Amino acid sequence: MSPSLTLPAPAPAAARKRRLLEILGAAAIAATYIYLVLNQPADITGGPGSASALIALSGFLVGAILLIVAVLPALPASTVVLIPVALVLNIVLGQFVGSTLVPFYLDAIGTVLIAVLAGPAAGAATGALSSIVWSFFNPTVLPFAAGAALIGCLAGLAARHGMFRRFYLAPVAGFVTGIIGGVVSAPVAAFVFGGTSGVATGAIVSAFRSMGDTLLAAITKQALISDPMDKAIVFTVVAVLAYALPRRARLQYPFVRRHRVLAGTSPEQGS
Amino acid sequence: MRLHPLTSLAAAGSTAAITTAAASLPLSLAVMGAAVVLSARGGTARRLLPAAAAVLLPLGLSLLVMHGLFFPEGRTVLAQWGVARVTAEGLVFALERTAQLGAVVLALLAFSFSVSVPDLVAVLSSRGVHGRFAFVLASTLTLLPAITSRVERIRQAQESRGLVVRRGLHRAAAFRLQAVPLVLSLIEDAGTRTAALEARGFSNPGPRTSYRDVPDPILQRVLRAVLLGAAAAAVAARLLLTPAGS
Repeated sequence: MSPSLTLPAPAPAAARKRRLLEILGAAAIAATYIYLVLNQPADITGGPGSASALIALSGFLVGAILLIVAVLPALPASTVVLIPVALVLNIVLGQFVGSTLVPFYLDAIGTVLIAVLAGPAAGAATGALSSIVWSFFNPTVLPFAAGAALIGCLAGLAARHGMFRRFYLAPVAGFVTGIIGGVVSAPVAAFVFGGTSGVATGAIVSAFRSMGDTLLAAITKQALISDPMDKAIVFTVVAVLAYALPRRARLQYPFVRRHRVLAGTSPEQGS
Repeated sequence: MRLHPLTSLAAAGSTAAITTAAASLPLSLAVMGAAVVLSARGGTARRLLPAAAAVLLPLGLSLLVMHGLFFPEGRTVLAQWGVARVTAEGLVFALERTAQLGAVVLALLAFSFSVSVPDLVAVLSSRGVHGRFAFVLASTLTLLPAITSRVERIRQAQESRGLVVRRGLHRAAAFRLQAVPLVLSLIEDAGTRTAALEARGFSNPGPRTSYRDVPDPILQRVLRAVLLGAAAAAVAARLLLTPAGS
């Protein structure tokens, strides 16, 4: 969609403010993670542990909300309209898979699809929004908003650098994204939940605990088993879906045209 | 008196924050009971309880198995089979965590099942971030029921073309045959909706006029400020009173 011809363009000051909010949001998430990992891995099971839960919750939530505030007003309308579709896909598939006995989640298909079609910023906003809207039915996904935003952002970066142009590269990009996302989400699971919310993932954590690991170490190892596989599957599913889209629907998105995200779509000529 | 959507959101959010900060089993159980009683009086318990059970049962079971059987830090061993040791500390930890999370989940679900979504959207959709967030929220909540009937229609259409869902790899193929048309039609619809919304000035800046007027009495505004202040105080007290590194 082209910018409005009749209304004044947004002032550069507003763009600078949004950039600042973006940086603040990312910094809040990074600082929370570093603080949690450096300061207190050992005590979770000792006391009530609610100070670390509060820090994890507030730091990650504030970061995610800052990212939404920074990104959402700047997105074109065609992307904003796509976000509810992605949220519905996340919720429907995630709710279904989360209740089965598979140690995967598959709750990011919509987020990754948006990231591939509309870029890293849109992917990050979709991931965070997805957790917030989903928490209307399942409040336990709320603390993972920052992790979901990170997955969306990384998926968008992978798409921009051509990881979806070759079919075999998509699962590799998903695997790497899963490693990073899993490591970042593990402290939330450990400090806020004291475990995982699924039965199958819980069984894997129990196995590591029986070998004498601390809770954070056990959950991080579980995340390193589940998340890379999970995201590799998600990225592959998204690649299948994106290539099944008709050319007209794919090329509707400027990000796909400008960065030649998908093979067989020629880069935008001229403009 | 009808509660303003933001007042009930502030009440649920601050209850969740205070329960997490307090981390005491009696308070968590009291909040769980209060949330159930409130939603029963509001007539939403019938929908609230299954939704809460769907979230809390797997979570509680997972925590119970994880900490009940394997808790290397536990000292008081109640029973032992091979590597699995049931310890009192592990059981108490699982119980405390489940109650704490149960209180948060029930408080937030009691809000989301009692709030009137049109009112919430009307309150949010002034402009800017709020307006777009309100669109995403309202659009998702209305798409969800619509999508289940569309999935059903697509399955019937594919079955009439000879699709038979069988075990193993065929299941993945069947999933693809249903997922691709679903995503295609959703993205196609989104494109059409973009044009319609854009023609009505969706992304224009400036104030919006809402036809839905949600009264916001001064008393509730004060109540909201008090609730948020209490939640912030509880969080600050917990962070300051807990010695660093523990």
